[in-house]
Amino acid sequence: MLDTIRQIETPEGVFLRLHAAGALPRAQAWLIDFAIRAAVFWAVMIPLALLGEGGMGIGALVVFAMTWVYSVVCEVWFGGQTLGKRALSLRVVGADGAPITLVPSVVRNLLRVVDMLPGVYGVGLISTLVDPHARRLGDVIAGTMVVHVVDTLGGNQVPTVPAEAPPRALSSEEQAIIVEFAERCPQLTPQRQRELADLLSPLTGQTGDAGVRRLVAFANYLLGRA
Amino acid sequence: MKQERFVALHGSDWDTLESWLRQVEARPQRTMRSPEAVSFPADYRRLCHHLALARARGYSREVTERLQRIVDRGHRLLYRPPAPRWRRMANFLIAGFPRLVRKEWRYMALAAALLYVPALICLLLVTFRPEFAHNVFGSTQLAEFERMYDPANRHIGRNSGTDLGMFGYYIMNNVGIAFRTFASGLVVGIGAVYVLAMNGVIFGALAGHLDNIGYGAPFWRFVVAHASFELTAIVIAGGAGLRLGLTLLAPGRQRRGPAMVEAGWIGAQLALGAFAMLVAAAFIEAFWSSVASFPDWLKYGSAMALWVLVGWWLLRGGAGESRGT
Repeated sequence: MLDTIRQIETPEGVFLRLHAAGALPRAQAWLIDFAIRAAVFWAVMIPLALLGEGGMGIGALVVFAMTWVYSVVCEVWFGGQTLGKRALSLRVVGADGAPITLVPSVVRNLLRVVDMLPGVYGVGLISTLVDPHARRLGDVIAGTMVVHVVDTLGGNQVPTVPAEAPPRALSSEEQAIIVEFAERCPQLTPQRQRELADLLSPLTGQTGDAGVRRLVAFANYLLGRA
Repeated sequence: MKQERFVALHGSDWDTLESWLRQVEARPQRTMRSPEAVSFPADYRRLCHHLALARARGYSREVTERLQRIVDRGHRLLYRPPAPRWRRMANFLIAGFPRLVRKEWRYMALAAALLYVPALICLLLVTFRPEFAHNVFGSTQLAEFERMYDPANRHIGRNSGTDLGMFGYYIMNNVGIAFRTFASGLVVGIGAVYVLAMNGVIFGALAGHLDNIGYGAPFWRFVVAHASFELTAIVIAGGAGLRLGLTLLAPGRQRRGPAMVEAGWIGAQLALGAFAMLVAAAFIEAFWSSVASFPDWLKYGSAMALWVLVGWWLLRGGAGESRGT
């Protein structure tokens, strides 16, 4: 397949479909995380500066936590999402599509050091471009991947018109194509609808708006609306 | 069965399951205790069945995508890993980690050699040819070190700073170095070799130089206690990095991909153990090593006890139990 969907078979015998997230949304998520970390750091350092040397020690602990601990804690305890990933609807998942666990999260976040190598994520960028699932090196070795969270639905309905049987028997694939066309119709411009419907004029025997109406009528029949 | 009838028949089940899943995501604790939670696995598997049917019968995207998304959510919940438990972490530190270190002893021995052999060579070189110290350090650095370990200091091993301040600094600095040592090992081991050998050279040359100018006593009094945890942790982190890099070069009788995943898994566990050791080392370094007023027998006695403890823990820890728990 040419797209970035990775299919994983579950024990129930169905496939999960994971939409791999590319370099750009991940870079945006990282920037948001970076801004949050910098903000926390400044917010903590100002009162700590008043405490003198001991405060600097606590400040160093905060720097450590922000550098190394933040991502791991977010990923393991908050469903594979740092705040930046949450903002961009990304999620880190394990090799089997299940939520990420502690050790893989540690692997991918420690190996970030290598992905960051020549300056600004050079190795990581090349790795995401080469890998079919857009994983950076840390993800490859941890066996994890970053996916888009797709939880909302299109909610398109086939417009209800009087059903009409197609003139000849259609294969299941052909049926699915006609129903999908009818579902997407409300989203398309009338010109595009006509253009697509004209491709099927051998079947509908009509062109233009009449062809579109006929295909929607076929779809109603195929859906079982008598 | 036509699609419309299929949806009419089962649509309400899907809606119920979906709204329940949304509730779980909003407030997991309370929803998981509700009676509906008991029937979730069965409901979820029925939904998977419906998805398989819908795909096989060529139903439209609206239906298959809708089912697919509920399945994705259900999978996330059903196959959710258990939350990490303190007890398991403690078990890992006491037994699992030493076992892992012993299992990977070849890499540990290599890392130890990369740290201690340069250290020993530099120590001997500087002892017999004192001017060699100037090849390793700049003169400002040497002056800095001499000030840190001046026997007249009340605090040894540092110029300024309170105990708490130095504790935070040690954590940030040393754990950061250990983590980078491990990660940079991925570059065919070069990063790990560099960090280990470099630390060895600095440590050996510094010890030799301070011995030469008569500051040896405060130096050894300072380092000997926390070195037990600190040097061993650096060796372990370096060994984990070497394992990563050498597995990349020679994966053995395995494909490179799975071999790297395994090396990463082991390396991360070793790095976590090294992290715990370095926290212990930072405690000792900040609150115990720096106190100049303790008598020699207390300093060296406690250091001896710590070295024995570390050695015994790594060599014998978890040996009594059956493996694979």
